[in-house]
Amino acid sequence: MNKHFTYLIALALLLLSMPPARAQKGGFILTGGIASFRMTDMKYLQEYILSTYPVEGRITSSFPPYTSLSLTGFKQYYDYLRVGGGYSYSTTGGKSSYQDYSGQIVTEMNATSHRLGAYLSYVILDGDWLDLSLSGRLDANYTSLFIESHYRIYNAGNRITNQYRSISPSGCIGVELMYELNQLALGVEGGYLVDLKGNLKDTDDGDPLQDPYDRERVLTSDWTGWYARFSILIKFR
Amino acid sequence: MAILLLAGLSSCFYTDSDMYFVEPVADDPPVFSVGTNLDTLLYPEVFDSLEVEYIAEITGGEFYYFYARLAGSVVFESDSTLGSFWITSFMADSAGIDTLYMNFYYSTNTNSLGDKFGYEALVEELKYAIDFKPGGKK
Repeated sequence: MNKHFTYLIALALLLLSMPPARAQKGGFILTGGIASFRMTDMKYLQEYILSTYPVEGRITSSFPPYTSLSLTGFKQYYDYLRVGGGYSYSTTGGKSSYQDYSGQIVTEMNATSHRLGAYLSYVILDGDWLDLSLSGRLDANYTSLFIESHYRIYNAGNRITNQYRSISPSGCIGVELMYELNQLALGVEGGYLVDLKGNLKDTDDGDPLQDPYDRERVLTSDWTGWYARFSILIKFR
Repeated sequence: MAILLLAGLSSCFYTDSDMYFVEPVADDPPVFSVGTNLDTLLYPEVFDSLEVEYIAEITGGEFYYFYARLAGSVVFESDSTLGSFWITSFMADSAGIDTLYMNFYYSTNTNSLGDKFGYEALVEELKYAIDFKPGGKK
């Protein structure tokens, strides 16, 4: 698995350092928006944790669509091809809680995805001001999952925290619509990310995060889902 | 601009401030009764020592704890509903009447978080005036 990530990162670096003979210019694309996430196992784990409460708690949020960002460096080839690599970031989480006059019990889960990989974009409609492109990314996806449960009852309390990580390959395909403004372009992009799921392991001891009902199965992170982002493209000559 | 930047930065970290607040629906409180061998005595006297026996009964709840206090000090504690302990003339501050407090703690049945974890309790307090006789002191 690690070999694949090394290849991906090497590919991104290679694409960025391709001979400039046909490269006209380069630039950066900064995007920010929202993405949805499948996170089936995390929702399952959240349900399980809630079932261990001694009182009837409730899930107040369960891995909803949340922030997604990316920063991509690229080189432009033949006016219609952009090749590069970059970093993408997504975050989401969940919370279950119970509170009454005597105290509260809360479980918070925070998941963060850091993706590093290659980027490719191909212009399919090239207007004077508007460009429509197909784009894709291949990434190594590092997930960090933080689970914290705490309770406070009158003046007593306790807190338990666990941190897990996973690594998985992911890729996305989408469309970019850019409005050209000389050296700058503003636009929107949307697409679908497929995450091949990564087994979650405890960051301290490396123990897998097992399914509480089936010890043979390891729970996974899954960032598969739709995304929609605003984008700013800055070109360098 | 700064506000926008701060709002943008905060959205980079997932947060959920919602809390599920509940008004617990209480069950009937437990039926609790307790008796001691001092119940039939008026100003029991202690020349040297006196054994105190107690028996508690609880229905529809859980007994947590019992302790006895005399002259500001805990002289006995237990989590049993049945038991006995000794008080001696040394335990009193001085000769004469002193009060023996016996506190029994048991579940509230409020169904709150505090109730479920045993962090809240109803208390039954018994008080007995004990006559410590100077002649009983060594």
